[in-house]
Amino acid sequence: MAQLDGTTEGNHGTIIYVSEDFPSTAQTKPLQALRRYIFSTDHKMIGLQYFFLSLAAVLVGSFLSLLMRIHLTWPDAALPIVGHIKPENYLAYLTMHGTLMVFFVLSTAPLSGFGNYFLPLQLGSSEMAFPRLNLLGFWITFLALLILLSAFFIPGGASLAGWTQYAPLSAIASSGPGQGQGTTLWLVSIGLFCIASVLGAINFITTTLKKRTVGMRLLRMPLPCWTWFVAAILSLLAFSVLLAATIMLLLDRTAGTGFFVPSGLLVNGKPVPQGGGSALLWQHLFWFFGHPEVYIAVLPGLGITSHLLSVFSRKPVFGYKAMVGAILAIGVLGFAVWGHHMFVSGMDPYASFAFSGLTTAIAVPSAIKTFNWIGTIWGGKLRFTTPMLFSLGFVSLFITGGLSGPLLAQPALDMYLHDTYFVVGHFHLIMAMAGLFAVFAGTHFWFPKMFGRMMNERLGAAHFWITFIGAYAIFLPMHFLGIAGHPRRYSDLTSVHYVAALAPVHRFITWAAIITIGAQFIFLLNLFWSMFRGAKAGVNPWGCSTLEWTLCSPPPGNGFGDRAPVVYHGPYEYGVSGATTDFLMQDASATS
Amino acid sequence: MSPITDHIEVERKPKLGGGGPGKTPHRYGFGGGDDGGDHHRPDDFLSRRDRLRRYRIGVLIGMVSVAVLFIGLTSAYVARAGQRHWDLDTQTSVRDWQPLVLPYRQLIINSCILLLSSITLEMARRSLVKRMEFSTLGILPPRLQTELPWLTLTVGLGLAFLASQILLWNTLRQSGMYLVSNPSSSFFYLLTGLHAVHLAGGVVVLLCALLGSWLRLRHQSQQITVDVTAWYWHFMGMLWLYIFALLYFVK
Repeated sequence: MAQLDGTTEGNHGTIIYVSEDFPSTAQTKPLQALRRYIFSTDHKMIGLQYFFLSLAAVLVGSFLSLLMRIHLTWPDAALPIVGHIKPENYLAYLTMHGTLMVFFVLSTAPLSGFGNYFLPLQLGSSEMAFPRLNLLGFWITFLALLILLSAFFIPGGASLAGWTQYAPLSAIASSGPGQGQGTTLWLVSIGLFCIASVLGAINFITTTLKKRTVGMRLLRMPLPCWTWFVAAILSLLAFSVLLAATIMLLLDRTAGTGFFVPSGLLVNGKPVPQGGGSALLWQHLFWFFGHPEVYIAVLPGLGITSHLLSVFSRKPVFGYKAMVGAILAIGVLGFAVWGHHMFVSGMDPYASFAFSGLTTAIAVPSAIKTFNWIGTIWGGKLRFTTPMLFSLGFVSLFITGGLSGPLLAQPALDMYLHDTYFVVGHFHLIMAMAGLFAVFAGTHFWFPKMFGRMMNERLGAAHFWITFIGAYAIFLPMHFLGIAGHPRRYSDLTSVHYVAALAPVHRFITWAAIITIGAQFIFLLNLFWSMFRGAKAGVNPWGCSTLEWTLCSPPPGNGFGDRAPVVYHGPYEYGVSGATTDFLMQDASATS
Repeated sequence: MSPITDHIEVERKPKLGGGGPGKTPHRYGFGGGDDGGDHHRPDDFLSRRDRLRRYRIGVLIGMVSVAVLFIGLTSAYVARAGQRHWDLDTQTSVRDWQPLVLPYRQLIINSCILLLSSITLEMARRSLVKRMEFSTLGILPPRLQTELPWLTLTVGLGLAFLASQILLWNTLRQSGMYLVSNPSSSFFYLLTGLHAVHLAGGVVVLLCALLGSWLRLRHQSQQITVDVTAWYWHFMGMLWLYIFALLYFVK
């Protein structure tokens, strides 16, 4: 490692961190390489492993969505490799797309990926609370992904029941080609994922509580740390419930119990042996997990966006404490609204009234956050770097996607809009696209720290604009499809009169999807090219005040080493008047 | 990117913006945010205490997760127990939940075994704490490894509980109560089975601690392992009583 990279700037005085055990040019033996890159207990390596796992999952997931779009527009087309897409193939793609994206991308990349890498560093710690538990968690997640994907290669193919796996069809093997082995593999995979997520959550919560450095009070934590902390709490509680539900469904499938199978059920004309259960019970248990899961996916995005808007506006976060309060409020309310997914499942009107009211109440903390973001950039010295562009894109998508939320929260409206493309458009904008934009923003922002090089700004801007316009071009028309009554999850609607008339909209969406997914290769090119050929990054290229930017890029293997930083300031001291720089590092002590 | 100057010279007190107030580091706060007072000397007593606390918090959070798992199952159990369905043949609303007939004598024996093992593990934990205090003062404790018999006894009792549970399940199966007989029996096997799986995890950890204690490996790690496993074990005992009460009261 070059000497220059080992110095910290922006701190008062110059400190050289020398790390002995970080690999530089020393030849590593295979066993050492195995412990350093594969079975590493270093939180930075584990963070990168989660990041690349998500990257692999998002590639497969996007490819599946492309197949679905092509099938919807040209139902008779025979494609290379996959051939002609049959209805059961379409359902399998749909299930796997949803599962990969929700579990292995949106709850993995922002929380486990960036969180593992930067939570300890932002708190001024050199490691997570339980490094070996972390290692175990990653490898269980990896195993879960392999098991999930293996369903494509078994007879019958992958599960058809959607990422929600609604009972009773998911409990009965004879209900479709993928419902035998495919669904069993799905359940085993998600069960393992639950265990890994709980292990990760234990680590995140303990790290936040116990590994903060001297002076890093809870209200001096950068906002991403707050969101990782709250998302970990949600993840702990939600995944435990999903694990219980998964075990029960697995028993229904393998041991012949009837937790979720109602009596007197006929599937494909044949009576089902077990019975006496309740299919609605699965929906309750699943959505008790499923709604907090939305916030597990999007909370880290809220934190990253708040952080980046402040850095690139050179202004403190507007209303830091209100932001923390809003994060906590979203976390608490997230557990009380699961019923809004079940308005049409047969629900007591009083219960749906309560769920509706609570769901609408989430708009309050969300609006606080949006207001504070606008307050943060208001009058700031904006720097339109790629991470800033993606953060602004996040705010835009968060507002657009969020506005249709209160509509869907009305039981009367939801009766009509339920299971239409309106819902697809809504959750893709707010959860999928906003979540992904936060991941892009985080990648561009932390790339210099992770790999010691800068990403290309011009490619980044091109990628941003195509993706931004593409996201709206794909998902905004879906709202109109939904209002027109177009149901989701149907593979072919050419013979239904009123839906067939909507084919031009589908064609437009498909072309937009092809262009947008194609544009992601700009990102991949930028990522891998910059990793090896990008301009060298300094210690603190963005002029950011949090602790990870006091370390050299990439940080040494032992993090802060035996020099734990001492924190004197809040995380967002930008635009400081009277200083030669316009910001104060959190550990800068020269203030008097 | 514009270069950032490499040091700060502040002429007057800067206007502090976002984040928490105050300029001085905060030493004795809740949880982290302080260095536990050990001033970066990682090898002394305070750092060990900090490590123990960290592991205790980790296990506590793990226990929350297990508790939520069982709360989920409880809600399913209670909902199912009260459920009726419309029978098409008789055109009536029927409740097909058959109340459990449980062998209470055996269940009470099992409970006693588990509670007894909690006491023996607590004895092991306390003897380790005592030894830790001695070694902190730099003296060897008068009697080494007083925890060994208690640990062995706990592992024995834990295995006895698991064996007794298997016997219980066998008895029930012989009397015609299978996993799939009725929703009530499904829930019985699910609740007790998952409890047994969690307890078996505790037994495995204790076996590792016992082995390490016997080989006199890194007694600090043994102490932490036994300490947090004791917490977990007591929690398992409480959970068992809870399951017992649930099965008894909600039929």
